[in-house]
Amino acid sequence: MVTTKPRPSGRASIAKVQPLPDKTFIIDNGAYTMKAGYASDTPIEDETIAMSACSIIPNALVKTRENRVYIGSQINTHIADCNELTFRRPVEKGYIVNWEAQKEIWEHSFLDDKTARSKELRIVIPEETTLVLTEAPNALPALQKNADEIVMEEWGFGGYLRCMGPSLNAWNEVQSVFGDPATQKYDSIISPRECLLVIDSGYSHTTVTPLYKGQPLQRAIRRLDLGGKHLTNYLKEIVSMRQYNMVDEAYIMNQVKEAVCYVADDFVRDMEQTWKGNRKCGQLNPGDSVTVDFVLPDPNAGRKGFMRQHDPLLNAKKRKSALSGAGTETVSEDVLVLGNERFTVPEILFTPSDIGMKQAGIRDMVLQSLSVLPTGLHAAFLANVLVVGGNSLIPGFMNRLETELREVASAECTVRVRQPQDPIRYTWLGASQLAANRTEFQKVAITRQEYQENGSSWTGRKFAGAL
Amino acid sequence: MYHVEVLPNATTHLTPGWTYVPDRGFDPSKAAITPTIGRKRGIRDPGNRGDLSSRQTNAIIRHLAELDRENHKDVHIPVPVKQKDAATRGTRGKVTSNVRRILQSQKSFRNYLDDEEAALAQAAHASQRPPAKIAKSSLRRSSTPATTPSTSTPKPDSRRKQSTQQSAESLPQKHVPIDRAPTETKPTETTEPMDEENEESEENEEKEEKVKVKGLIKSEHDNDPLLRSYIPSAPSDRIMQALLSEPPLTYNAARAGPPVTMQSQRHFCCVCGYWGKIRCRNCHSRTCGLDCYKVHEDSRCGAFY
Repeated sequence: MVTTKPRPSGRASIAKVQPLPDKTFIIDNGAYTMKAGYASDTPIEDETIAMSACSIIPNALVKTRENRVYIGSQINTHIADCNELTFRRPVEKGYIVNWEAQKEIWEHSFLDDKTARSKELRIVIPEETTLVLTEAPNALPALQKNADEIVMEEWGFGGYLRCMGPSLNAWNEVQSVFGDPATQKYDSIISPRECLLVIDSGYSHTTVTPLYKGQPLQRAIRRLDLGGKHLTNYLKEIVSMRQYNMVDEAYIMNQVKEAVCYVADDFVRDMEQTWKGNRKCGQLNPGDSVTVDFVLPDPNAGRKGFMRQHDPLLNAKKRKSALSGAGTETVSEDVLVLGNERFTVPEILFTPSDIGMKQAGIRDMVLQSLSVLPTGLHAAFLANVLVVGGNSLIPGFMNRLETELREVASAECTVRVRQPQDPIRYTWLGASQLAANRTEFQKVAITRQEYQENGSSWTGRKFAGAL
Repeated sequence: MYHVEVLPNATTHLTPGWTYVPDRGFDPSKAAITPTIGRKRGIRDPGNRGDLSSRQTNAIIRHLAELDRENHKDVHIPVPVKQKDAATRGTRGKVTSNVRRILQSQKSFRNYLDDEEAALAQAAHASQRPPAKIAKSSLRRSSTPATTPSTSTPKPDSRRKQSTQQSAESLPQKHVPIDRAPTETKPTETTEPMDEENEESEENEEKEEKVKVKGLIKSEHDNDPLLRSYIPSAPSDRIMQALLSEPPLTYNAARAGPPVTMQSQRHFCCVCGYWGKIRCRNCHSRTCGLDCYKVHEDSRCGAFY
């Protein structure tokens, strides 16, 4: 369709207006992982099919113990020994800060024909591709400008849209998530699509974004500076203090966190259960005890880490078998015993004062966000709370959040807190839905020609909605 | 008797001998470098036990910074050198100056944030009116929840502004019967088209209210006029447009504030994680009982604070 030209030099004026390229590549550029893939060309009917085009790629450069550096998805495939991995992440606090590293990861994952082999992830000709790039709310203008300039001047994408990640969720079929019938009579005025409160709990922070007809209400966006990274580091710190020294094992502790952590629905009860005095009495049958063991991965034996029920007699057994000299298997494994660590760690998202932080927890953050909006909208937002981001996968998270919001909302309001099937890729899916809606998409995205004519500050204003 | 009270404001009075300095509360970004609360204050007013000492605040800030780290040690991971750099560039011409500047920049997020803060402060300082207004309003909005949407979109038409404000003011009392509406619109009766608009929006609101009531949870008191529950109606389209067209808050303004519902802080045992009931005499960290206290005293007392 389009003849491939080298980039038009300088101000070569092109007479006719170029449309946006048909192909749309979406990168939901998180601090921990990138969610990337091509948007479907046709309007999406089946979400799972559309979702299959989206891959999750670690957004990091990793150095191993042997001082080898791996990029992006190589972390999952090339690294056998995951001890003492160190990470360099281009995204800091949710925003792309270091473009040197980000460029390397993007080129390795999407643009370089030697390393980006799979068809779903390869951007063959940037000039014939529209790029959709997400960003966290309240980004610094300097960083936004950097992103625009790099995308348009380094790779020269044919079309470009930079937009706020949480706002893309409104384009999804949220009715099905909330269990509403697709067409409702009374929601013709305020439907879930129109009022949606997105809570995005990611790696670097947790944000609350109220969306009205898919657009963010900027004054009410709030951020809690706690995310998955802080949970992992907190768990790491506790375990290092109480059991083994794990300070250099962020990667393993992340696995431990994902395996064992949960959000308590009754913090006090669980705390009493894990008290060491109870443990000695053995009054609880081990089946419903909170305490678990996590067997650490063993790179020499090629074993992965896993969780199992707590065995109070493990140490005694070990000693015995060591004395008798039999069965090296039980001796060689290293076990972390996790009791109250399991729920006190994710608890800081709800009660940041537990670590002395002077910020509100998620529930109060929602209230603070709503308090600057007209009261008429509160009920609509509370009835449509959508939670995305990796932390929402912690067991008990959704339950706890709904309970807490229910407690503070006025009695006649409906409170619905829902989570999509795949909370990590849901934002990406929303972008895909937006791209399929060509008329809306063309309103917000810009073409390469427009960038060349108007420059980066115009682009910034355009994406801010000021034009 | 005379009673002189200095009201808290943002100005600093310079008086010979002493100075009134506005107490802006606790600023974590500055406290890490220069603790504003003097160390001796803790000794001077011991009644203030609820507050944390500067030592403890600093310890908390250090702890939070620790949690925010990517790696435990500072490491530098260079981008691997590519063999055929020229080949991959190939078709794409040469690097523009913008791109080169961005790629070579080694600034961290902290640097960018400081830059922006400095720029905002300067804009507020140097040029008197317009930027200062923007900066102030964005800062103010974070701390005090304003009920009326600020009409930040510059509209030369002052009438319009009035009407939006008015409809915003009438927001908290939407359940007021309609027959009171004329008294409310009185001051603006001189302009006819506006009146119509107001009525229109009110009609809309009424309609919306009816519709919204269906979404409420039903209770047996719904027929009781005193106990009947209603949700305030949705705001008019114009208010929503004003809200949507607002500029984003700054990074710092968007941070969630201190908790609304003040609960007493929970303390945990620094050894086993159970409730921290006993406070160590030397280092103020908590333990749950004598067992843990002994462990703490023997091994790590004073090591972390």
